[in-house]
Amino acid sequence: MELTEQAILLQAPNPAAAENGRKLSKKGSFSAHRRTEDGTLYWCECAGSGKNPYRVSIDFTNADAPTCRCSCPSRQFPCKHALGLMFEILGNAPFEVAEIPQDIADKRAKQAARTAKKEAAAEEGGGPAKPKKPNTAAQKKKLAKQLEGLDMAEKMVDELLTSGLGTLAGSSAQTFDKLAKDLGSCYLTGPQTAFTRIALTVRTVQKDPAQADAAYAEALRLLVALRSTIKKGRVFLEGKLEAGDYSAEDSALFEALGGVWKLEDLKAIGSVKENVKLVQLSFDVSFDEAKKEYVERGWWLDIDSGDIWQTLNLRPVKALKYVKGDDSRFGVLEVPALYIYPGEGDRRVRWDSASTRPLTAEEQAALPALAQPDLAAATKLVKGKIKNTLAPKFLAVLVPIGQVGTVGETGIGSGSASAAYVLEDAQGGRILLRNRPEDGADHACTARLGMLPRAIPAGSALFGLMFYDGRDKTLCLHPYSVVTPDEIIRLQY
Amino acid sequence: MNLQPLYDVKERLEYAAIAGVSLLGEDFRLQRAAEALKPLAAASPVFGKIDAGLTKLLAAPPEQRSGLLLDVLALVDAVAYTQAGAGFEGELEPLPVGGGVYHQISYGQISPLLTALTTTGGGRMEIVKSAWENHPEFFEDYRVLPAVIVGLGDGYGEMGELCATLLKELGPSVIPALKQGFDPAGNKEMARRVEVIAALDGKAATPWLREILPEAKKDVRSAVITALGGDGENTSLLLDLAKSERGKNRETALEALAKQDGDEVSAFWERELGKNSQAVAFLRPTRADWASDLVARGLWDRVEAAVEQGGQIGKETHADVSAWLASAKGKSSPSMLDFWRWADAETEAIGKLQNHTGQPLRLGAQLAELLLDSLCTAGPGPLCELCLELWGKHKDEARWLPHAVVASLLTRSASEVYDQFSPYVPVVKPLLGGAQKQALHNAVLEGLGRLAWKEDTGACLINGVWPTAQPLDKRWIKRLTHAVWKTTGKNGSGSAYAYWEPIEEYDLTLIRLSDPSDEETRALLVPYLRERMAENGQPYSYSHYLFRFGGSPRGVLGKAMARNSKSNRLGVLWRLMNDAAQVLPPEETAMLLEEVLSSGGINKEALPTAQKTIPWTIEQLRAGKPFPDWDDWIALR
Repeated sequence: MELTEQAILLQAPNPAAAENGRKLSKKGSFSAHRRTEDGTLYWCECAGSGKNPYRVSIDFTNADAPTCRCSCPSRQFPCKHALGLMFEILGNAPFEVAEIPQDIADKRAKQAARTAKKEAAAEEGGGPAKPKKPNTAAQKKKLAKQLEGLDMAEKMVDELLTSGLGTLAGSSAQTFDKLAKDLGSCYLTGPQTAFTRIALTVRTVQKDPAQADAAYAEALRLLVALRSTIKKGRVFLEGKLEAGDYSAEDSALFEALGGVWKLEDLKAIGSVKENVKLVQLSFDVSFDEAKKEYVERGWWLDIDSGDIWQTLNLRPVKALKYVKGDDSRFGVLEVPALYIYPGEGDRRVRWDSASTRPLTAEEQAALPALAQPDLAAATKLVKGKIKNTLAPKFLAVLVPIGQVGTVGETGIGSGSASAAYVLEDAQGGRILLRNRPEDGADHACTARLGMLPRAIPAGSALFGLMFYDGRDKTLCLHPYSVVTPDEIIRLQY
Repeated sequence: MNLQPLYDVKERLEYAAIAGVSLLGEDFRLQRAAEALKPLAAASPVFGKIDAGLTKLLAAPPEQRSGLLLDVLALVDAVAYTQAGAGFEGELEPLPVGGGVYHQISYGQISPLLTALTTTGGGRMEIVKSAWENHPEFFEDYRVLPAVIVGLGDGYGEMGELCATLLKELGPSVIPALKQGFDPAGNKEMARRVEVIAALDGKAATPWLREILPEAKKDVRSAVITALGGDGENTSLLLDLAKSERGKNRETALEALAKQDGDEVSAFWERELGKNSQAVAFLRPTRADWASDLVARGLWDRVEAAVEQGGQIGKETHADVSAWLASAKGKSSPSMLDFWRWADAETEAIGKLQNHTGQPLRLGAQLAELLLDSLCTAGPGPLCELCLELWGKHKDEARWLPHAVVASLLTRSASEVYDQFSPYVPVVKPLLGGAQKQALHNAVLEGLGRLAWKEDTGACLINGVWPTAQPLDKRWIKRLTHAVWKTTGKNGSGSAYAYWEPIEEYDLTLIRLSDPSDEETRALLVPYLRERMAENGQPYSYSHYLFRFGGSPRGVLGKAMARNSKSNRLGVLWRLMNDAAQVLPPEETAMLLEEVLSSGGINKEALPTAQKTIPWTIEQLRAGKPFPDWDDWIALR
């Protein structure tokens, strides 16, 4: 891993810690700079509030996951002193070559032994730990409870539609919220969240009646998906109960009902791909009001297969400081084992280890060629996916650019919003480029196309989310990055 | 295929879901939409399925309707998605190129900055300043720049000002972004956009300013008029605006016109001042000769009329004269110099003027202060020669002596200034003429009081702006520390360290003009300040002055504290000792604490706690530990 400011921020538990580390470095709090001959260990002293300075070191034996050590009492990891030392290294502070201190050498040896043991265990077991043997009686009980919950959910849907979505206000909304919470007790967190979303959407109408059409349409889309989840879920659960099969299964329904995938479960169902090289196309953060959590989403391109994956780092508000934030990544991520969530379309992925290296010019040049052949193929693909009631109503796609421009009476830069951004492929197919309203104002990045620093060269592609816009009943593309043979220009992060 | 019947069905189903399926049987519009779909159903199996679903739904008992409605809706939606069109008709214009700047910045790098620029709450300024310090390039990125522009309208005024400053630093490349989405009828953000564009584009902004002026409203209009004042070519337009605008915008036009030059402008102001004497306030910032001449003439007329009238001066006349006096500051045209010469000649008559209650008007003293302010504002130039000329006529008087000191500092060599004026600051008490000599001493100190050492420039500046012709002669420090009188004729003011300790202006003057990094100065100041602390008490202020010059108050601190034990509460004591620990060695701080405890000068109520905390703190310091926190002292209560 090349030590950059972005890499330091990725290590930091939060931006404030990194900033504090930078300040320590700037005000000259570090002294006695030392490093080993091979440059794998850096250590120095950092003045703190006490009489004795803190002893801080960074071990780059595993360059992608450096080990930070510090004698300070901070519970943050890495602490600001370790982050400050990284800034010292980044700022080319003069480090004197010295022998490794004995205490660190001992710790290194212990860590090496632990890693070797872990690797040996992994070789034996081949990856993540085997799934634990399920407690069948408990699993059976859980499935029965879930089925009971599905009946309750169906009843709620019936009652809601009988009285009408428009009646979901005031005390009835509170009762609805309470019933939704009861679904959580039936291990149906998926439908529970869906009900919360419906209630939130309907409340939007009360706050802003001008949004009524869009809000009710969204609530109905959620209800349709919920109905489908209930119907398919019941068949799925009854099947499992009947067969006495309580293990996780390669089905999107498992997650739609509220199941949480573990890496060992994904491995058990064979949803894993080895030696994958990924390049991040875009990164964004949004707040999920229904689940009260931040969703940090990365879009990744598999540079060998052209598959597009997404990573989701979920940070509940209540546990914000315990869940480390994700960030934009640049360069190539080499992933030994990529675990893939079941589902269709933009499948979620995870990994437990990866290394980063810069993207070569050849690799960069090859990226646009991984786009869909043309817009027609892309729209066909999208239509095929979004018609599934359980699937999101958008799909991430990389489409080839023939030309991107504006259609409308005024150009960009004059302050008028009347011009429409349009992508045209080499065959003359066109698609309207437009912000997806559901993503909110903080994701509105289409207009940045009018501020690109350079002309888009031939052979480029555009990455974005293709979605159905009910306002004019067309497929549109919310652009997120321009992928040229030379660089990826991110319109978001 | 005409899909309108499908969309109609979808719309009716959605209405039914919102209104409630219990009313479905009465929904004739849904039935009509279902009928209209039948031809499509005959043509395609999927529409046939929808038709069958609708038929079933309309015939279903109430308890089954909701499920059936959602099933049909799912099917309708799926067909709507698969039948969705894509594309956009019209001529495709290429994108503009180079409109923005892109840097490969991560979310983690810019998200705190974007949050600080676009939200509310404390600590935002620090984040923005720190980001600017470390990564000024972030601010030109096309994801950040729009947020900086939005920040111009931040509810917290200082943030708006900071954004304006940063945009000006970024340079003319931000102008297109500032013009994008510009609303001439907008709010404060738009007004600041005008200010930034005008600052960056200078005179080149004029055509744009003229273009937006007709549509500009409120704050934006005012900002546009101010900006037009930056270009001399806009004089005619501003003259027109001065006629057509009303209220605040007219005042802005007058402010802008005050910056213009030429006969037309001068004639306008002559007429304006003839109609409205108070409009002279608009001419305060301008140094142009025409403005100086107008003010000199108006002021001369008013003072002369008062002198001719003699005796008591009415309230309104006095207010009028004061407004004109304020506008004379910094002006130095030949007419203004003549006014000062005339005022000097008429000193006696001016001194006799009384206010409306019959008390002395003190117009003479007011004029002398104004000329000194004027000189310090204008810096080197004709006022220096004038002040030396006036002083030359009255060398035995104190009236123009401060002016002569300042004028000499600005134009003469350091040794010349010292040789000329140091005799007025005697170091041996004169046997005769003490009062007269002390007045002269005070006058020299008043002049020196305009000087202050600035660490960042490493020089003594007058009014914080004008450097002296040569670095101040160091002999002044020695002379001032040994002077007979420690007065300036002005009352002391509260100290920055302890508001209850009024410090002599003399000492403040001496401290202000001394360079704390100069060894010679420190060697003189430390014993002097210890002596003054012993004389005046005031342990908190003088201790801090001593810290600044590398000294310690040990030996005098205890006695000084004992003179006013009521003030020596635990909190101020901790603060003083904590500050001492930052600059003095631990043993020195420990000894200071011993002195404080044995002085008997601690506030009665604080004494029991101090008797616990001070010995403990001494132990801590001698054990090599840092000076304790305030919380540690409190914990020992």
